[in-house]
Amino acid sequence: MKIVVAGKGGAGKTTVSGTLARLLARDGEDVLALDCDANPMLGVSLGVGMERTDLLVAVRQAVDAGEAEHQPTVEGMVETFGTDAPGGVRLVVASRIDRIDPGCP
Amino acid sequence: MHLAFVGKGGAGKSVIAGTLARVLARRGHRVLALDSDMLPGLTLSLGAEAPPMPPLLDAAERDEDGRWRLKRGIGPVRAVQRYSTGAPDGIRLLQAGKVGPDGLPPIMPALRAYYQVVHRLARARAFSEWAVVGDLPGGPRQAAFDWAPYAKTFVLVVEPTSQSLLAARRIARVVAQRPRGAVTLVANKVRADADVARIEEFLGIPAAVVVPADDAVAAAERCGGALLERAPGSPAVAAVEGLAELLERSRLQS
Repeated sequence: MKIVVAGKGGAGKTTVSGTLARLLARDGEDVLALDCDANPMLGVSLGVGMERTDLLVAVRQAVDAGEAEHQPTVEGMVETFGTDAPGGVRLVVASRIDRIDPGCP
Repeated sequence: MHLAFVGKGGAGKSVIAGTLARVLARRGHRVLALDSDMLPGLTLSLGAEAPPMPPLLDAAERDEDGRWRLKRGIGPVRAVQRYSTGAPDGIRLLQAGKVGPDGLPPIMPALRAYYQVVHRLARARAFSEWAVVGDLPGGPRQAAFDWAPYAKTFVLVVEPTSQSLLAARRIARVVAQRPRGAVTLVANKVRADADVARIEEFLGIPAAVVVPADDAVAAAERCGGALLERAPGSPAVAAVEGLAELLERSRLQS
């Protein structure tokens, strides 16, 4: 199954996603949690912890900074950029907006 | 007084921004409300109507390369005259545009026009005596992409949750990279002194205003009306009046 969680800010997307990921993992599924928010916070509700969530490697930042090679395969991306969250969930953070860069909405 | 409201989604930016705009208008300020959120927010909390399509669609044209831009000859004054709509207490409201069933593409021309209007507005003298109250979508995105170049003060709204705190710290770091723009911290939905202490300690700045958790706010948000009309005597409205006074004082000092 592939699930996208969407909604207005503050409605509870992150809490629902994180809890759902943990419950599915508990039921024996292999779970990949993708944080595609420009303000990535999924680690908090997965139980990674607040400060560690803030420091998780984001794919775009790591590639831009030359810290990691871009991975042409999904498996490579999950392996290189992912983090083990509690309960056996694998977490990948896509990007994090942290500097001024005039442009799109 | 040129303000931009920032914070995590759901922290209470729009409710406080809309209420503050109304309070400032009642205190005699000419108020321009700027709504760059593509989801409903400021318009509702002002007690105004959202037009079905953004008026700024008429302000856009294609350039030689086919990209949308603000029509030639439209400066910020004319843009506000022509494309803002009225809100209660004499407020002018300029909206970037709201996402409809077909997503962003139908409103892209209006978004481009809005972006150029606010950038020209930032340099225009005509609005220097106005109170400009901008409401940004949740998160750091628009602050980083320079959607509030007019802002001299970023009002950072934070509620005492881990997610709201983390988002606020990221936004504060983005704002700190700007050549100008002070941060005024509003602690919202506060239930105990410990909430304020946690927010101040985590962000390393003092809260300028504390807005107590208030059932009247939750009720107004359920109804979709302006807090100022639904609960004029509520503690949250009193706190926003305090914010208005603080901003007026700091403007006199600067």
